[in-house]
Amino acid sequence: MATKAKITHADIMKCFWRYIFMSQCGWNYERMQSVGYCYSMLPVLKKMHPDPEDFKEAFITNLNFFNTNPVVGTPLIMGAHIALEEAGASYDTTEGLKVGLMGPLAGVGDTLVWALYNSIIFSIAAIMALNGNAMGPIMAMVLVFFPYMAIRYWQITWAYKEGTHLLTSIGSGAIGRITEFATIVGLIVIGGFAPSIVSLTTPLAYSQGAVINGETVTQTVTVQAQLDAILPYMLPVLATFLCYWLLKKKSWSPVKVILMLVVIGFIGGALGIFG
Amino acid sequence: MSPILTALVLAIWAYICVYDMLAPMFILANRPLIAGFVTGLIVGDVQTGMLIGGTLELMSLGVYTYGGATVPDYTVGAILGTYFGKGGNFDIGIALAVPAALLLTQVDILNRFLNFVYVHKADRFAEEGDDKGFERMMVWTSHIIWGLSRAIPVFLAVAFGEPVVKGVSSFFEAFPWINKGITAAGGLLPAIGFAMLLKILPVEKYPAFLLLGFVLFAYLKMPLLGIALFGVAVAGIFQYVKYQKQEA
Repeated sequence: MATKAKITHADIMKCFWRYIFMSQCGWNYERMQSVGYCYSMLPVLKKMHPDPEDFKEAFITNLNFFNTNPVVGTPLIMGAHIALEEAGASYDTTEGLKVGLMGPLAGVGDTLVWALYNSIIFSIAAIMALNGNAMGPIMAMVLVFFPYMAIRYWQITWAYKEGTHLLTSIGSGAIGRITEFATIVGLIVIGGFAPSIVSLTTPLAYSQGAVINGETVTQTVTVQAQLDAILPYMLPVLATFLCYWLLKKKSWSPVKVILMLVVIGFIGGALGIFG
Repeated sequence: MSPILTALVLAIWAYICVYDMLAPMFILANRPLIAGFVTGLIVGDVQTGMLIGGTLELMSLGVYTYGGATVPDYTVGAILGTYFGKGGNFDIGIALAVPAALLLTQVDILNRFLNFVYVHKADRFAEEGDDKGFERMMVWTSHIIWGLSRAIPVFLAVAFGEPVVKGVSSFFEAFPWINKGITAAGGLLPAIGFAMLLKILPVEKYPAFLLLGFVLFAYLKMPLLGIALFGVAVAGIFQYVKYQKQEA
């Protein structure tokens, strides 16, 4: 199946722009990102499989199930896949590469991009916006556009150069280290951001009469001050852990937990328990 | 702008938000902060756009469709919330945004299901070796179901929702406790996002880091950017020490 055709930088860029404009279009429950991936790879598939019957097989094979993180994941797999196509690898090899990488990369990408990077820039930008500062959303857009373009372009070109060595360099623990790094930053950030952003306080207070020097004095004790004395931000911390417990140990769906929060928050706020 | 024209422009904006999320991710227009901010620019009330978008952004922080799981549509929530909250009606805007986001959860499941059409058509194109047909389908139609599933509700709500919203707002004035309830629920909602983030991270393996972040904020009052930079430093030191030992 080895062909004489050479992959040029222009071929890679064709795939890259197709990926940029279509990567998750047509996403569905059955094969998820498969159509977007196949569409992105077609220029290279067509060049490397000039025989129509052979091309048909490549086309069909690349409509298999595909799903990974579209920012850190898909372009890396595409780069390595292009290198394998150029080397005339079998479908078993190319499909093996896709299946082998999409799971681990989804984990790394979701943690790095979704959980960590986006959460940090968007929480800071949102707080700026709430203070009436339009630089918040503008900064967020700039901090999405340039880094996202750069990281996606870098992956496809780097992975193409690494080619068949990619699996070994990833297997050497680089992905494990990056994930560990992101995990540590993520946990520290969540530990600090959760109490600052989840807001739950109580205005409840109780009064008691006390006799001091023969005079009756009414003392008002606020529940919030008592809670703060035990642990600052105790209620937000408890609420976050309750949600975590429901998601993780009780396997509740996120939507169910959201509905529960809306109901508890609404009733508590309406009755004056929270607020 | 006449209401119908505004409805049309906002529907197109909702479509763009969906498309940007699906592929280019140029500005992540689907994030409520961006969706709300641009809606504010369109309707001429940037402040409300930032308030609604910022509030929904914090509510939905960390709430992602990991692996395609369905979550409320805070994008449409931000667009509708900004539109109906413009001109100083923030309370009404936010009170409509959250139910709108929750209602569209079902729509999301439906459009992801209906998208089967594309993969089955793609199979036929592949069997015929018709790459041009497949490419036409991808470029022109592969985003239509998803895009319209958001654009149509936005159009209908903006074009015909005004009387409903007037009714809601007089209801609000009659019962002030509704607002208090909504405010409290809004403050509580970010807890789910952090819980979802914690679920994908190995909390049980490294609980100390979580505690460290908490102490920085709760006791040392460190700003958020400071906490993030501190996190990067600690992760660097941790790995330096750990792998130094292994290599020695």
